[in-house]
Amino acid sequence: MKHPSKSPGRLLLAGLVATLPLGGMAAAQEITIVREVDSNNYDPQKSVARAAAEGLFMMGDTLVSLEPDMQTVSDGLAHKWDVSEDGRTYTFHLKDGVTFCDGKEMTAEDVVYSIKRWVDPETKSPVAWRAGDVKDVVALDDKTVEYQLEEPFSELLYQLTQSFGTIVDKDNVEALGEDFGISGFNGTGPYCWESWTPRDKLVMTRHEGYDWGPSFYDNDGAPHMAKITWQVVPEENTRTVALLTGQSQVTQYIPAIAIDQMNQAPSVEVQRSDEAFWTYFMGFKINKESVSDPVARAAMNLAVNQEALAEDLMFGKVEPAYSYVSQGALDWNEDLDDDLLRYDPERAKKMLDEAGWKVGEDGVREKDGIKLQPTAYVFAGSTWQKVSEFVQAELLKVGIDLEIQAFDATVAWGKLATQEFDVFGMSFPYVSSGDALNLYFRSENMPTPNRMNWDDEETDMLLDKGKTALDDETRADAYGEVLKKVHEAAVWLPLYHEPMFITHTAEMEPVVPHNNYGAGLYKGLDLKFKE
Amino acid sequence: MTIPADIENTPPRRQAWWRALMRDPSAAVSMIVLALFVLGAVLAPLIAPHDPFEGTRSVMQPPVWAERGDWTYILGTDGQGRDILSRLLYGTRLTLLIGLLSVGIGGFIGSFLGLLSAFYPRLSPFVMRFADVMLSFPAILLGLALVAIFGPGALPVIIALSIATVPDSARIARSIALSVMQQEYIEAGRAIGLSDTAVFTRYLVRNSISAIMIFMSLRFGQIILIGAALSFLGLGARPPAAELGMMASQGRDFILFAPHIAFIPSLTIFIIVLAANITGDALRDVLDPRMRS
Repeated sequence: MKHPSKSPGRLLLAGLVATLPLGGMAAAQEITIVREVDSNNYDPQKSVARAAAEGLFMMGDTLVSLEPDMQTVSDGLAHKWDVSEDGRTYTFHLKDGVTFCDGKEMTAEDVVYSIKRWVDPETKSPVAWRAGDVKDVVALDDKTVEYQLEEPFSELLYQLTQSFGTIVDKDNVEALGEDFGISGFNGTGPYCWESWTPRDKLVMTRHEGYDWGPSFYDNDGAPHMAKITWQVVPEENTRTVALLTGQSQVTQYIPAIAIDQMNQAPSVEVQRSDEAFWTYFMGFKINKESVSDPVARAAMNLAVNQEALAEDLMFGKVEPAYSYVSQGALDWNEDLDDDLLRYDPERAKKMLDEAGWKVGEDGVREKDGIKLQPTAYVFAGSTWQKVSEFVQAELLKVGIDLEIQAFDATVAWGKLATQEFDVFGMSFPYVSSGDALNLYFRSENMPTPNRMNWDDEETDMLLDKGKTALDDETRADAYGEVLKKVHEAAVWLPLYHEPMFITHTAEMEPVVPHNNYGAGLYKGLDLKFKE
Repeated sequence: MTIPADIENTPPRRQAWWRALMRDPSAAVSMIVLALFVLGAVLAPLIAPHDPFEGTRSVMQPPVWAERGDWTYILGTDGQGRDILSRLLYGTRLTLLIGLLSVGIGGFIGSFLGLLSAFYPRLSPFVMRFADVMLSFPAILLGLALVAIFGPGALPVIIALSIATVPDSARIARSIALSVMQQEYIEAGRAIGLSDTAVFTRYLVRNSISAIMIFMSLRFGQIILIGAALSFLGLGARPPAAELGMMASQGRDFILFAPHIAFIPSLTIFIIVLAANITGDALRDVLDPRMRS
């Protein structure tokens, strides 16, 4: 009796489908994509928002690109690249005939400028580390770039597929100054910047003559769509209805609750990809009294029924998570598979009892005057509200009283950089285990994104080893070791892995979900109306 | 001092207005409805059929009258599998408490300031300008600011709503008190040499109080609505506490598939506010001498 099959709401939906306008904008080759949030800007080196990546993947290009399997690096602006034996020098050979939207030719100098802008301390890029320890980037000739590193960086190619490595136009950056990525953006991508109204819509038009897209796309020419409007619709039911009524043609932001109904509606199709690598978790600030005991943290892991969370709250549309990164991610340590903490509330209670956490009069466990009453900071909004309340209820059953404080996204990031909380809720995209571990577990990344204050020399050493490894095995071993360490210490409570669902109207050709940085439509080259 | 016999034989005033109130059917129904909600709220721990905070795996159960509904969960369950009826009882409790406390605290402070400024006309410009400044500040905005300082919870909401009630009640109390101050008995009181305190408490307060109370009862509905709105925005009650506005807000996610989760608490807010307003109106009709024909 979990999923109501007949309810007034369903009738409402059926009614909406019946009144669907046929054809829509098919003739015009224009589509509207609805999404939940906007970005603060579209400056590739400065914004870390998924919403920025969504726009930038379409309006710009990177040296290399990532296939939908999230493993294979493919061509981008470079058609070919060589890596020196010591892993410190990458030579990129650029494609011919690449132009910016304003018609200017893209050369090696633009690549040099973009990468240098990324790592320049002046830029204050929050993701400069993703470019590796850059020694220098030089243009050997108009079409060849040499990328020199101080230390080998095993993940460099993956990182270069991210929107942060988007090649920008120096003249455009200098002309717009502070307004770069706000009032305009001149890129080499399949679509060109037309206009942006923050928190409302981003409009882009076809880049005529574009034929340098990644080879894994069937479409090797310019995009089929003449115009794309990214419309921000914060309310999830409104997005659902927008798809059903043809006001929007594509979106990846349909709530889990509506996926089944969308699947059944004849006017829309749903595409699913499990290689999304987007994980939801709660992290513990391990030097805080209420969560400093690894036994208590492990017990919290055992107390929460991720399967019920995935089934009941997310309607079976997500994968329950017991690992900190997807078990399908590159360099996942398979030895850990059997030791992952799975739902077992009785064992949780026993562990807490044995560790001396006794249930007090108010039903909350305590030990040496410290109560198991951690404060959690989460994002306001329906997802974290649901998820954190679920976790709260589960923990209460074993005598742990989680206090939830939700903050609007505009203040949450600031709050999450403080030392005020004991637990925090977060979700994040990654391309590999190493990507996730380097982001969260390096001591130099305290207090954020290493909000757990995980300060461990051996971890830092192993992460360096993995990062600078020259062969796959060394890298996998080093990262596998770190994974083991952090899982054993139970520094996180993993909740679920979110697959990618792309919902589009039936008038469109099936869209292959791409998962890079959670931007499901990636370069938008396969967006096409059926003929 | 002896009481003249004919006064002793007339029915007490209270009985008279009570009868008048009960003669108005809409007022009578409203008061019964309000009384039932208050009773339900007070007895919530005793009569709630389930734990209002503990989730179960039967999520989004429809209410009993819908197809597939059953008597285990009379009003169905919410997105976390919690019994809506139990949450409704607890939620009404918090909602009424927020309303009562805010109107009580804010109304007391405001009326006191208003009466004082009518009694001492020299204070009047200060109090009234202060009230004007406060009135230009929307209660929701004030709530947002306080929540930003204290973090979400019922307390900042109560403080914000109390503050928002002060200027209105100060103005109303002052206007009522000004007309009372014109009465001859005030002059008589002063003439027989009563102290300021005695004139203030025995004559002014006692003769203004019923009119002020009418205003408060009308204000009550409004405050509940604003309180629910703040909770709807996620500023009021902190989870897992139940509050009607918050329940409506949580139900919003399910509105296309299980509309009862949002509809039931919203309807409850509607009924409580409507009943409070009708009762307030009726009280005014009965108690306000100017409305009596």
